[in-house]
Amino acid sequence: MESARQQIALGLRQGDVVVLDALVEQYQYRLVRYLIYLLGRRDGVDDLVQETWLRVLERGSSYDGQSRFEPWLFRVARNIALDAMRKRPMFSLDSNDDRGVRPSPASNEPSPFPLAARTEDADRLARSLQTLESVYREALVLRFQEDLSLQEISVVVGAPVSTVASRIYRGLATLRPQFGGEQHEH
Amino acid sequence: MNIDHHESFQHMIDESLAGSISAEREQSLREHLDTCVPCQEYLSASNRVIAGLGDFSFEVDPTLNARVFASLRLPAQQVQAAQPGRRRWALISVAAVILTMGGSFVDLQFGDLIASIFDIQRMQVRQGLLAFWIVPSLCVLLLFPLLPLLSKAGTHREERIL
Repeated sequence: MESARQQIALGLRQGDVVVLDALVEQYQYRLVRYLIYLLGRRDGVDDLVQETWLRVLERGSSYDGQSRFEPWLFRVARNIALDAMRKRPMFSLDSNDDRGVRPSPASNEPSPFPLAARTEDADRLARSLQTLESVYREALVLRFQEDLSLQEISVVVGAPVSTVASRIYRGLATLRPQFGGEQHEH
Repeated sequence: MNIDHHESFQHMIDESLAGSISAEREQSLREHLDTCVPCQEYLSASNRVIAGLGDFSFEVDPTLNARVFASLRLPAQQVQAAQPGRRRWALISVAAVILTMGGSFVDLQFGDLIASIFDIQRMQVRQGLLAFWIVPSLCVLLLFPLLPLLSKAGTHREERIL
């Protein structure tokens, strides 16, 4: 595992297209999913994905190969998304908030979640996910889809571990009533 | 069993799912779950949320990978083109080693001869070789091992602004 990370680090430092292509193949879907959860929309995500990979190449030397690649990749993608929000009003997300990002206001674009729901349970979650604040969606996808630890999520979002934990609790608390779970505030 | 008691264990369920619970509290939670139906339902609903999150499948444009590959080609070549700079430094350091050894050799073998030709003292020859040959070569030689450290410091600075 360690040597695989070192290979990635070396490949990025050298601009090795074989390593880059393999990374794109391996992480593309997960990157798309993360950005959809972060932004709450599908439109524009492909452009951000492209910009993310370019940034990965440009800043590849800053990945040291000591820690997992995923948190580093998602952090790059997050920064690209935040930059895009600042530059392009089409994303319409307020990134000046201390928690990083807020949900997009209503737009004509259909929510990506009902379209992607493959089961009845996912369908029940879809509506709540669209109205859930971005920071909570982001915490949930990073913890339960990407299987990142609280410390790793903390690195991605640039917030303390306690804040990350709190976002996960709140995200779960918002979605749980869909399945009859008792809700309480921490 | 009062509501506060359940809330306390339900908070522990959240901690457990988030991966932030201690082994001791996890054990206590497991024991409680064996007998507490409301907390079992709470855990079950939480697990359904987590499972439901895995039941989304977003469509990815089949041409996206090809577009990404194409956009990376040129910048990757530029990164690769920057690599010979390091090889150049390696060659310079090898040259510095040879020069340092060469300077010392000239001093030891031909110091007296040079002093007699130019009619100067042996010590003056040695000082001249040190000042204009050996020490500059040595400086380049010593600089080379510092490059990775300087590069690492630059990397950390870059990571902070990433």
